[in-house]
Amino acid sequence: MKVTSIQTLLATWGGLLLLLALTTASAYVHLGLGNLLLNLGIAAIKVALIAAIFMHLVRSSVTVRLAASAALFFLFILAFLFFGDWLTRPSNPAPWRAPPSDAR
Amino acid sequence: MSAPAAHFETPQNRREAAELGIWVFLATELMFFGPLFLAYAAARLSYPEGFAEASRHTDVVIGTANTAVLLTSSLFMALASRSAQLGRRRAASLLLFITALLGTAFLVLKAMEYFDEWQQHLVPWLDFRFEPGLAHPASLFYLLYFAMTGLHAIHLTIGIVLVLVFAWRLRSHSPASMRLQIENGGLYWHFVDAMWVFLYPLLYLVERA
Repeated sequence: MKVTSIQTLLATWGGLLLLLALTTASAYVHLGLGNLLLNLGIAAIKVALIAAIFMHLVRSSVTVRLAASAALFFLFILAFLFFGDWLTRPSNPAPWRAPPSDAR
Repeated sequence: MSAPAAHFETPQNRREAAELGIWVFLATELMFFGPLFLAYAAARLSYPEGFAEASRHTDVVIGTANTAVLLTSSLFMALASRSAQLGRRRAASLLLFITALLGTAFLVLKAMEYFDEWQQHLVPWLDFRFEPGLAHPASLFYLLYFAMTGLHAIHLTIGIVLVLVFAWRLRSHSPASMRLQIENGGLYWHFVDAMWVFLYPLLYLVERA
Protein backbone atom coordinates (compact mmCIF):
# COMPACT_ATOMS: atom_id res chain seq x y z
CA MET A 1 0.00 0.00 0.00
CA LYS A 2 1.02 3.59 -0.49
CA VAL A 3 2.44 5.74 2.28
CA THR A 4 1.61 9.43 2.59
CA SER A 5 4.75 11.56 2.14
CA ILE A 6 6.07 13.77 4.93
CA GLN A 7 5.72 16.81 2.65
CA THR A 8 2.01 16.13 2.17
CA LEU A 9 1.46 15.71 5.91
CA LEU A 10 3.37 18.91 6.72
CA ALA A 11 1.53 20.87 4.02
CA THR A 12 -1.80 19.64 5.39
CA TRP A 13 -0.81 20.72 8.90
CA GLY A 14 0.30 24.13 7.60
CA GLY A 15 -2.98 24.52 5.78
CA LEU A 16 -4.94 23.62 8.91
CA LEU A 17 -3.09 26.21 11.01
CA LEU A 18 -3.57 28.83 8.30
CA LEU A 19 -7.32 28.12 8.27
CA LEU A 20 -7.37 28.33 12.06
CA ALA A 21 -5.73 31.77 11.89
CA LEU A 22 -8.25 32.82 9.24
CA THR A 23 -11.27 31.69 11.23
CA THR A 24 -10.02 33.38 14.41
CA ALA A 25 -9.14 36.64 12.67
CA SER A 26 -12.41 36.77 10.74
CA ALA A 27 -14.37 36.40 13.99
CA TYR A 28 -13.13 39.88 14.99
CA VAL A 29 -14.54 41.50 11.83
CA HIS A 30 -18.23 42.22 12.06
CA LEU A 31 -19.95 40.33 9.24
CA GLY A 32 -23.24 39.42 10.89
CA LEU A 33 -24.48 36.08 9.61
CA GLY A 34 -21.34 35.99 7.46
CA ASN A 35 -19.25 35.24 10.56
CA LEU A 36 -21.20 32.06 11.28
CA LEU A 37 -21.17 30.94 7.65
CA LEU A 38 -17.44 31.65 7.31
CA ASN A 39 -16.65 29.82 10.57
CA LEU A 40 -18.68 26.77 9.59
CA GLY A 41 -17.30 26.81 6.04
CA ILE A 42 -13.70 26.94 7.24
CA ALA A 43 -14.39 24.20 9.82
CA ALA A 44 -15.85 22.03 7.03
CA ILE A 45 -12.73 22.57 4.88
CA LYS A 46 -10.50 21.70 7.86
CA VAL A 47 -12.43 18.51 8.58
CA ALA A 48 -12.33 17.60 4.89
CA LEU A 49 -8.52 18.03 4.93
CA ILE A 50 -8.20 15.88 8.06
CA ALA A 51 -10.47 13.18 6.62
CA ALA A 52 -8.87 13.16 3.17
CA ILE A 53 -5.18 13.28 4.14
CA PHE A 54 -4.72 12.37 7.82
CA MET A 55 -7.47 9.74 7.71
CA HIS A 56 -6.35 8.95 4.14
CA LEU A 57 -9.83 8.69 2.67
CA VAL A 58 -8.30 9.76 -0.66
CA ARG A 59 -6.68 6.35 -0.96
CA SER A 60 -9.23 4.26 0.95
CA SER A 61 -11.39 1.61 -0.73
CA VAL A 62 -14.83 2.46 -2.05
CA THR A 63 -16.43 0.50 0.80
CA VAL A 64 -14.67 2.62 3.41
CA ARG A 65 -15.59 5.84 1.63
CA LEU A 66 -19.20 4.68 1.49
CA ALA A 67 -19.18 4.00 5.24
CA ALA A 68 -17.81 7.48 5.87
CA SER A 69 -20.44 9.05 3.60
CA ALA A 70 -23.17 7.01 5.28
CA ALA A 71 -22.22 8.60 8.60
CA LEU A 72 -22.74 12.06 7.13
CA PHE A 73 -25.91 10.97 5.35
CA PHE A 74 -27.54 9.77 8.57
CA LEU A 75 -26.50 12.95 10.33
CA PHE A 76 -28.25 14.92 7.58
CA ILE A 77 -31.42 12.87 8.04
CA LEU A 78 -31.30 13.65 11.75
CA ALA A 79 -30.72 17.34 11.04
CA PHE A 80 -33.49 17.44 8.45
CA LEU A 81 -36.06 15.96 10.81
CA PHE A 82 -34.82 18.09 13.66
CA PHE A 83 -35.04 21.41 11.78
CA GLY A 84 -38.33 20.33 10.22
CA ASP A 85 -39.74 20.06 13.72
CA TRP A 86 -37.96 23.06 15.18
CA LEU A 87 -38.75 25.61 12.49
CA THR A 88 -42.45 24.73 12.22
CA ARG A 89 -43.71 24.89 15.80
CA PRO A 90 -43.50 28.46 17.10
CA SER A 91 -46.71 28.09 19.12
CA ASN A 92 -45.56 24.99 20.97
CA PRO A 93 -42.16 25.84 22.46
CA ALA A 94 -39.82 23.26 23.93
CA PRO A 95 -40.02 23.00 27.72
CA TRP A 96 -36.66 24.69 28.29
CA ARG A 97 -37.61 27.82 26.35
CA ALA A 98 -38.44 31.12 28.03
CA PRO A 99 -39.18 30.07 31.61
CA PRO A 100 -41.44 32.55 33.45
CA SER A 101 -38.76 33.22 36.12
CA ASP A 102 -36.47 34.86 33.55
CA ALA A 103 -38.54 37.56 31.82
CA ARG A 104 -36.95 38.73 28.59
CA MET B 1 -10.67 -26.21 10.77
CA SER B 2 -12.74 -24.30 8.27
CA ALA B 3 -11.18 -21.63 6.07
CA PRO B 4 -11.41 -18.02 7.31
CA ALA B 5 -14.12 -15.78 5.93
CA ALA B 6 -13.23 -14.01 2.69
CA HIS B 7 -12.62 -10.63 4.36
CA PHE B 8 -9.94 -12.22 6.61
CA GLU B 9 -8.20 -14.31 3.95
CA THR B 10 -5.30 -12.08 2.97
CA PRO B 11 -3.46 -9.35 4.93
CA GLN B 12 -4.84 -6.82 2.49
CA ASN B 13 -8.41 -8.01 3.17
CA ARG B 14 -7.83 -7.97 6.92
CA ARG B 15 -6.52 -4.42 6.74
CA GLU B 16 -9.56 -3.26 4.79
CA ALA B 17 -11.98 -5.07 7.10
CA ALA B 18 -10.39 -3.42 10.14
CA GLU B 19 -10.43 0.02 8.50
CA LEU B 20 -14.09 -0.42 7.57
CA GLY B 21 -14.89 -1.50 11.13
CA ILE B 22 -13.33 1.65 12.56
CA TRP B 23 -15.23 3.85 10.11
CA VAL B 24 -18.52 2.22 11.08
CA PHE B 25 -17.62 2.83 14.73
CA LEU B 26 -16.81 6.47 13.91
CA ALA B 27 -20.21 6.76 12.22
CA THR B 28 -21.86 5.79 15.51
CA GLU B 29 -19.62 8.31 17.26
CA LEU B 30 -20.92 11.00 14.93
CA MET B 31 -24.43 10.05 16.07
CA PHE B 32 -23.14 10.64 19.61
CA PHE B 33 -21.79 14.15 18.95
CA GLY B 34 -24.31 15.14 16.26
CA PRO B 35 -27.39 15.56 18.48
CA LEU B 36 -25.40 17.82 20.80
CA PHE B 37 -24.62 20.08 17.83
CA LEU B 38 -28.34 20.11 16.96
CA ALA B 39 -29.28 20.95 20.55
CA TYR B 40 -26.79 23.80 20.28
CA ALA B 41 -28.40 24.96 17.02
CA ALA B 42 -31.86 24.97 18.62
CA ALA B 43 -30.74 26.93 21.67
CA ARG B 44 -28.68 29.42 19.65
CA LEU B 45 -31.53 30.04 17.18
CA SER B 46 -33.80 30.76 20.14
CA TYR B 47 -31.39 32.99 22.02
CA PRO B 48 -28.89 34.64 19.65
CA GLU B 49 -27.98 37.50 22.03
CA GLY B 50 -27.64 35.25 25.06
CA PHE B 51 -25.35 32.89 23.17
CA ALA B 52 -23.22 35.76 21.84
CA GLU B 53 -22.76 37.19 25.32
CA ALA B 54 -22.09 33.80 26.91
CA SER B 55 -19.54 32.95 24.22
CA ARG B 56 -17.68 36.21 24.91
CA HIS B 57 -17.08 34.90 28.43
CA THR B 58 -15.11 31.89 27.15
CA ASP B 59 -11.31 32.08 27.10
CA VAL B 60 -10.56 32.57 23.41
CA VAL B 61 -6.77 32.56 23.93
CA ILE B 62 -6.73 29.12 25.52
CA GLY B 63 -9.37 27.90 23.07
CA THR B 64 -7.32 28.98 20.05
CA ALA B 65 -4.05 27.64 21.50
CA ASN B 66 -5.75 24.33 22.23
CA THR B 67 -7.03 24.08 18.67
CA ALA B 68 -3.49 24.54 17.38
CA VAL B 69 -2.20 21.95 19.89
CA LEU B 70 -4.79 19.42 18.75
CA LEU B 71 -4.17 20.00 15.03
CA THR B 72 -0.44 19.54 15.69
CA SER B 73 -1.11 16.34 17.63
CA SER B 74 -2.93 15.03 14.57
CA LEU B 75 0.16 15.75 12.45
CA PHE B 76 2.31 13.71 14.86
CA MET B 77 -0.27 10.91 14.90
CA ALA B 78 -0.19 10.79 11.09
CA LEU B 79 3.63 10.79 11.15
CA ALA B 80 3.60 7.95 13.72
CA SER B 81 1.26 5.96 11.48
CA ARG B 82 3.62 6.54 8.58
CA SER B 83 6.67 5.40 10.58
CA ALA B 84 4.87 2.23 11.67
CA GLN B 85 3.98 1.49 8.04
CA LEU B 86 7.64 1.92 7.08
CA GLY B 87 8.75 -0.36 9.94
CA ARG B 88 10.59 2.34 11.88
CA ARG B 89 10.14 1.24 15.48
CA ARG B 90 11.95 4.02 17.39
CA ALA B 91 10.52 6.84 15.28
CA ALA B 92 6.98 5.46 15.59
CA SER B 93 7.33 5.06 19.33
CA LEU B 94 8.71 8.59 19.79
CA LEU B 95 6.05 10.17 17.56
CA LEU B 96 3.27 8.37 19.44
CA PHE B 97 4.71 9.66 22.68
CA ILE B 98 4.72 13.25 21.37
CA THR B 99 1.12 12.78 20.22
CA ALA B 100 0.10 11.69 23.72
CA LEU B 101 2.05 14.59 25.22
CA LEU B 102 0.21 17.13 23.04
CA GLY B 103 -3.10 15.49 23.92
CA THR B 104 -2.24 15.81 27.60
CA ALA B 105 -1.24 19.47 27.11
CA PHE B 106 -4.69 20.05 25.64
CA LEU B 107 -6.36 18.47 28.68
CA VAL B 108 -4.24 20.49 31.12
CA LEU B 109 -5.16 23.76 29.36
CA LYS B 110 -8.79 22.67 29.27
CA ALA B 111 -8.72 21.93 33.01
CA MET B 112 -7.28 25.41 33.69
CA GLU B 113 -10.11 26.85 31.63
CA TYR B 114 -12.74 24.85 33.54
CA PHE B 115 -11.24 26.08 36.81
CA ASP B 116 -11.40 29.73 35.66
CA GLU B 117 -14.99 29.24 34.55
CA TRP B 118 -15.88 27.75 37.90
CA GLN B 119 -14.33 30.77 39.64
CA GLN B 120 -16.33 33.09 37.38
CA HIS B 121 -19.56 31.28 38.30
CA LEU B 122 -20.09 30.02 34.77
CA VAL B 123 -20.79 26.39 35.67
CA PRO B 124 -24.54 25.62 35.60
CA TRP B 125 -25.87 24.40 38.98
CA LEU B 126 -22.67 25.42 40.78
CA ASP B 127 -23.71 28.92 41.86
CA PHE B 128 -24.18 30.06 38.25
CA ARG B 129 -24.26 33.85 37.91
CA PHE B 130 -24.77 35.95 34.81
CA GLU B 131 -26.11 39.32 33.70
CA PRO B 132 -29.81 39.54 34.56
CA GLY B 133 -32.07 38.85 31.59
CA LEU B 134 -29.45 36.69 29.88
CA ALA B 135 -28.95 34.19 32.69
CA HIS B 136 -31.23 31.51 31.25
CA PRO B 137 -29.78 31.45 27.71
CA ALA B 138 -26.25 31.75 29.11
CA SER B 139 -26.82 28.77 31.39
CA LEU B 140 -28.05 26.80 28.36
CA PHE B 141 -24.89 27.80 26.50
CA TYR B 142 -22.65 26.69 29.36
CA LEU B 143 -24.61 23.48 29.83
CA LEU B 144 -23.91 22.62 26.20
CA TYR B 145 -20.35 23.94 26.49
CA PHE B 146 -19.53 21.58 29.35
CA ALA B 147 -21.43 18.66 27.81
CA MET B 148 -19.69 19.00 24.44
CA THR B 149 -16.18 19.81 25.64
CA GLY B 150 -16.57 17.21 28.40
CA LEU B 151 -17.58 14.50 25.93
CA HIS B 152 -14.66 15.57 23.75
CA ALA B 153 -12.26 15.45 26.71
CA ILE B 154 -13.40 11.91 27.61
CA HIS B 155 -12.75 10.83 24.02
CA LEU B 156 -9.36 12.49 24.03
CA THR B 157 -8.44 10.78 27.31
CA ILE B 158 -9.27 7.40 25.76
CA GLY B 159 -7.17 8.39 22.74
CA ILE B 160 -4.17 9.30 24.92
CA VAL B 161 -4.35 5.95 26.77
CA LEU B 162 -4.59 4.10 23.43
CA VAL B 163 -1.62 5.94 21.95
CA LEU B 164 0.51 5.32 25.06
CA VAL B 165 -0.38 1.61 24.99
CA PHE B 166 0.71 1.49 21.33
CA ALA B 167 4.00 3.26 22.15
CA TRP B 168 4.61 0.82 25.01
CA ARG B 169 3.72 -2.26 22.98
CA LEU B 170 6.14 -1.20 20.24
CA ARG B 171 8.95 -2.09 22.67
CA SER B 172 8.19 -5.79 22.40
CA HIS B 173 6.19 -6.03 19.16
CA SER B 174 7.39 -5.40 15.63
CA PRO B 175 6.09 -2.29 13.87
CA ALA B 176 4.69 -4.57 11.18
CA SER B 177 2.47 -6.35 13.71
CA MET B 178 1.42 -3.04 15.31
CA ARG B 179 0.75 -1.23 12.07
CA LEU B 180 -2.97 -1.92 11.88
CA GLN B 181 -3.59 -0.92 15.49
CA ILE B 182 -1.64 2.31 15.16
CA GLU B 183 -3.28 3.22 11.87
CA ASN B 184 -6.81 2.58 13.16
CA GLY B 185 -6.10 4.20 16.51
CA GLY B 186 -4.99 7.16 14.44
CA LEU B 187 -8.35 7.29 12.66
CA TYR B 188 -10.01 7.62 16.07
CA TRP B 189 -7.55 10.33 17.10
CA HIS B 190 -8.22 12.35 13.95
CA PHE B 191 -11.97 11.97 14.43
CA VAL B 192 -11.75 13.44 17.94
CA ASP B 193 -9.66 16.27 16.48
CA ALA B 194 -12.28 16.87 13.78
CA MET B 195 -15.03 17.19 16.40
CA TRP B 196 -13.02 19.92 18.11
CA VAL B 197 -12.58 21.75 14.81
CA PHE B 198 -16.36 22.33 14.82
CA LEU B 199 -16.62 22.95 18.56
CA TYR B 200 -14.02 25.73 18.50
CA PRO B 201 -15.84 28.36 16.36
CA LEU B 202 -19.27 27.46 17.76
CA LEU B 203 -18.23 27.85 21.39
CA TYR B 204 -15.49 30.49 21.31
CA LEU B 205 -16.19 32.71 18.31
CA VAL B 206 -19.87 33.71 18.49
CA GLU B 207 -20.03 37.43 17.65
CA ARG B 208 -16.60 38.42 18.89
CA ALA B 209 -16.51 41.54 16.69
